[in-house]
Amino acid sequence: MRAVIVEDLALLREGIVALLREHDVDVVAQAEDAEGLLRIVAGHKPDLAVVDVRLPPTFTDEGLRAAIEARRRQPGLNILILSQYVEPIYTAELLESGEGGVGYLLKERVGEVRSFMDAVQRVAAGGTALDREVVSELVRQRAGEGAEGNGDALSTLTPREREVLELMAEGRTNAAIARHMVVTPGAVEKHVTNIFGKLDLPATNDDHRRVLAVLTFLRAG
Amino acid sequence: MDAETATSSISFAPPPEPAGPPPAVPPEANALPLHVALSALAGLVASIVWAVTGGGYYWPAWVWLGVGIPVAIHGIVRYGFSRPGSARHGFILHGMVTGLVSSILVIVWGFTTDGVDDFWPLWPLLVLGVALAVHMLVIYADRLPGSRREAQLAERVGELTRTRRGALDVQAAELRRIERDLHDGAQARLVALSLLLGRTEERLSSHPEEAELVRQARAEASAAIGELRDLARGIAPPVLADRGLAAAVEALGRRAATPVTVDAQELHERPLPVVETAAYFVVSEALTNVAKHAPGTSAHVRLAEQDGRLMIEISDDGPGGADPDGNGLTGLRHRVEALDGTLTVTSVEGSGTTVHAELPCGR
Repeated sequence: MRAVIVEDLALLREGIVALLREHDVDVVAQAEDAEGLLRIVAGHKPDLAVVDVRLPPTFTDEGLRAAIEARRRQPGLNILILSQYVEPIYTAELLESGEGGVGYLLKERVGEVRSFMDAVQRVAAGGTALDREVVSELVRQRAGEGAEGNGDALSTLTPREREVLELMAEGRTNAAIARHMVVTPGAVEKHVTNIFGKLDLPATNDDHRRVLAVLTFLRAG
Repeated sequence: MDAETATSSISFAPPPEPAGPPPAVPPEANALPLHVALSALAGLVASIVWAVTGGGYYWPAWVWLGVGIPVAIHGIVRYGFSRPGSARHGFILHGMVTGLVSSILVIVWGFTTDGVDDFWPLWPLLVLGVALAVHMLVIYADRLPGSRREAQLAERVGELTRTRRGALDVQAAELRRIERDLHDGAQARLVALSLLLGRTEERLSSHPEEAELVRQARAEASAAIGELRDLARGIAPPVLADRGLAAAVEALGRRAATPVTVDAQELHERPLPVVETAAYFVVSEALTNVAKHAPGTSAHVRLAEQDGRLMIEISDDGPGGADPDGNGLTGLRHRVEALDGTLTVTSVEGSGTTVHAELPCGR
């Protein structure tokens, strides 16, 4: 896998590069601002761009904007956004920015090496990796809207099923969910079938489409 | 006649003195009531004698005048010594003296002249009146519209408004800088630390006890990062700086415990950052109050700009009856008023609560 890193703080950039290289990711270029991102993506055609959301000169959200622009120029580019905070509107913008893997994680998740590397692999393969903070916010919002009246399907889920739903929305595979919850993959499959039945979602074996179905459900509120 | 009638006879009554420290008059000087009583007695005795002796020409008038003038002078002098020598005080004394002299002139004219053909006191009265009017103009000129003092005050108000706005702008910029420093300084270092700990933990897979210690250290670092994030968000939420008020309020609505609808269609240009931040926290506090006092109800937020003013309205369909002077709202009101804005809370029992704030956009 060939990746580029865009992060303005050298300390962090070097740390992430070292981590990725330890896990056999080929870091082909690094940059520290939005312009640099567009330049190295154009020059190296990487599989994955790992981008800090806040970059010079204005330190607002130009990392996100630049990543979306880079994907417009190189369709199918997989993007993993790292941020000091999560905002659902940015999730929506990323998910709607076209084809390709999308990741949106809090920066500190880099310390959870195993699940971070899972997320990197998933996004590089065209999948999804959403931070659990984003997902829990989506679930809370959806549940809040359901409470207003029309008997939301979310409330029919058992706590266990709800946990599985959140892990699915983060983009995890059945195997990863089983590992996380310390249950057998078979048990996870059973939960997934129940969830799709209760929420009336189209069944699919494709991990990526499954994530999209769950996210569409959560954001539909 | 006493000082009271003397002053009122030219239709000029000194305004009541503001309540202040009692005049510093020694007790022996407080003889005015006695003086008045004795003078009145003298006048009455003269009148009785006049009546007993068969009436006719009312000569006791001269007695009244003779005793009244000293009483009036007594009163004026007493007033003159009793108050601090301000310009206004001097003017009132002038008015009293003018009143006394005018009264004497008019009374003497009344006693000595039949008919109204020859009103000889006219000219002295005019002179006295003009002198008094000039005195008044000199003292109160600065209160006339368009006067220099008025202009100075207007300039001062403008200057204070500018400097206060400037100070608030500086404060808002400073807060955003602190917020950014938190993100890019301490928080970034903690992330780097967390990353190092994570890599260490991975290499300690054959030493589970040590790995567990490192994992705990990483958990602490994560908790610190989370706390810094909450702190930074409390200062100025990043989405507000990034995407403006409407997006930040929508994010607030999504995070709120109650369903919130947001209407920001009439908000086009971004107000000054300091105004945006104040507006954001008005909405934030109001939605927190809705969740706290009217759980289960829905709230509606409307943001609009009209004539350079930002209108913010948060209404709910809860039970109403909120205390408009509650703690959170009072703090917000101060924040809004510091920007020359207003904040009102309407909360009638049974018909929901509406918080309405208006702020000058300041662009």
